[in-house]
Amino acid sequence: MSRASQLILNVYLIVFFLYLFLPLGVVALAAFNAYPYPSVTQWQGFTVHWFAALAQDSRILTGLWHSVLIGLGVIAVSLPLGLSGAFLLSHLQSRWNTVLYSVLVSPILIPGILLGVSTLIFWGSLGFGAGLVTAILAQSSFIASYAMLLFLARLQRQDPTLEDAALDLGASNLRVFWRITLPFLRPTVLTAAVLAFLQSIENYNTTVFAIGADWTLVTEIGSRFRFGLSPVINVIGVVFILITVAAATAYVLVRHHELRRSHAR
Amino acid sequence: MNSLIATYGRPLSALFLLLTALWAVGLIALPQAVMIERSLWVEERDTSVELRINALYSSLELKRFDLADAKSEARKTQVAEQIATLEAEIKTLEARESAPRKVYTLSNYTRMSSLHFTIFLKTIAYALCVTALSLMVCYPVAYAVAHLAPPTRAALMMLGLIVPYAINELLRVYAWLMILDYQGVVNTLLAWMGLVDFEARTWIPFLESSGSVFVAMVYTYILFMVFPIYNTLETLDHNQIEAGRDLGAPTWRIHQRIVIPHAKPGIAVGCLMTFMLSAGSYSVPQVITRGKAGDWFSQLIYRQFFESFNWNVGAAYSFTLLATCIGFIVLMMRLFKVGIRDIAK
Repeated sequence: MSRASQLILNVYLIVFFLYLFLPLGVVALAAFNAYPYPSVTQWQGFTVHWFAALAQDSRILTGLWHSVLIGLGVIAVSLPLGLSGAFLLSHLQSRWNTVLYSVLVSPILIPGILLGVSTLIFWGSLGFGAGLVTAILAQSSFIASYAMLLFLARLQRQDPTLEDAALDLGASNLRVFWRITLPFLRPTVLTAAVLAFLQSIENYNTTVFAIGADWTLVTEIGSRFRFGLSPVINVIGVVFILITVAAATAYVLVRHHELRRSHAR
Repeated sequence: MNSLIATYGRPLSALFLLLTALWAVGLIALPQAVMIERSLWVEERDTSVELRINALYSSLELKRFDLADAKSEARKTQVAEQIATLEAEIKTLEARESAPRKVYTLSNYTRMSSLHFTIFLKTIAYALCVTALSLMVCYPVAYAVAHLAPPTRAALMMLGLIVPYAINELLRVYAWLMILDYQGVVNTLLAWMGLVDFEARTWIPFLESSGSVFVAMVYTYILFMVFPIYNTLETLDHNQIEAGRDLGAPTWRIHQRIVIPHAKPGIAVGCLMTFMLSAGSYSVPQVITRGKAGDWFSQLIYRQFFESFNWNVGAAYSFTLLATCIGFIVLMMRLFKVGIRDIAK
């Protein structure tokens, strides 16, 4: 690659990453501004007052509690569904496989608001009013798809002879599942649970349609943009950014380490 | 199916089947089907009945005055009889009014006003623009991370992509709310240059235009384009590129003949996700415009459900969006000649 094009590419990448991070910096910086409306330009001095204000904001804390409940509910619903779907797909050998596959991944490919709307209409007609339960169901419909894809990828790398050998040696089906299949899947179960929980907490577009008069942390933030915008929202932003940076760094370090190891071999 | 039973036995296999069926039917197929069914009927409330009832009530009031005014006994009984018939008629009509008839019709779709249809077209057009722009911006980035950067720098760049991607969608939109606000970052810069004046309130109202929704949408969804393309490019053997270069191919030709064909599934997935997220985005227009600019289609759907309480029209609008997205998926699969298996990886 010529020097000129290398230079152009580097400038391009720097501009792109500045574009990604500067707006986040604006959000984080305003959390420390004493000015009562979120701003970085009307600077009235450094403060951590808004952090204390967040700790006393009962609606946001209740929202966080709801988010955690929904997140746990989503793990409990979507992991068994995703796992079952993956088992079925990895053993089904007919043209029905593609049909089932299309149905089970479709929630990833359609807009989240439609999952919220359809859950609201269908489960509402069965007597479940909009609330935490419908939020769990609406979110699970697509989070289960992500879980299924993770399990499916893992199952494809499984050595089927292990299960066959155990069966030949007289293990019962249940015992094979419990002692061989599940231990093999355990890392994926953990990953899927963490991802399901994070996706559930993050979700706005689906939840806002299914939650009704209840609220989660994120839908509460959403309504604050209209009424009662204050730097407390920016404080939540700072917390989110810190958690994300820590988690992403850990993930990249692990991945980098694995890549190195596989190259070394 | 047989291999499933052979390995895990009948009870476990039946459990897997049951759970999958509950998911596919109870959480995916039936809700969509019920939504579509709901979009196909209206509750016929006879408005003429309502008018007639109101008319009857006013004549009932008149008759009551007559009754109070009536001088003779005969006149009194006559008016009282008239009142009784009126009351009976009101009762039957009210029964009809409170039991609206369910009529199957396409009117929920055909009655979409030209304003709402324009909003629909605007939403789709902007989503297509977001998709196209994201593709152009992200392709070089994905290629640089996958093939040009040395390992440590690639890991750092990966981190730089994951962090903004994983930060809550609302906060990413919020960043642009702060930048484009009346006294936000951009207007303050303009004020420093003396172009606008806060005292005179001559700031530029960015938030009241669709353009700022577009800008925030690009920022919010652009990274959904990077990762699918990166994932496919990562599997491309770098020796192929080297071979192309050794044989004298210019850079654009290497991309045209080697890199892009290999990245096709990733490009298709990136386009699908970006388009779907922008077309169905409720968060971006909701946060950015804050009711000060025209609605987007997702907001129309929300209003039908939670402000007009007209669920049937809401269902029809939802299905319109669903059909558009399915159409886009099919188009992409044809265009890039990829199957559903390549899409969701």
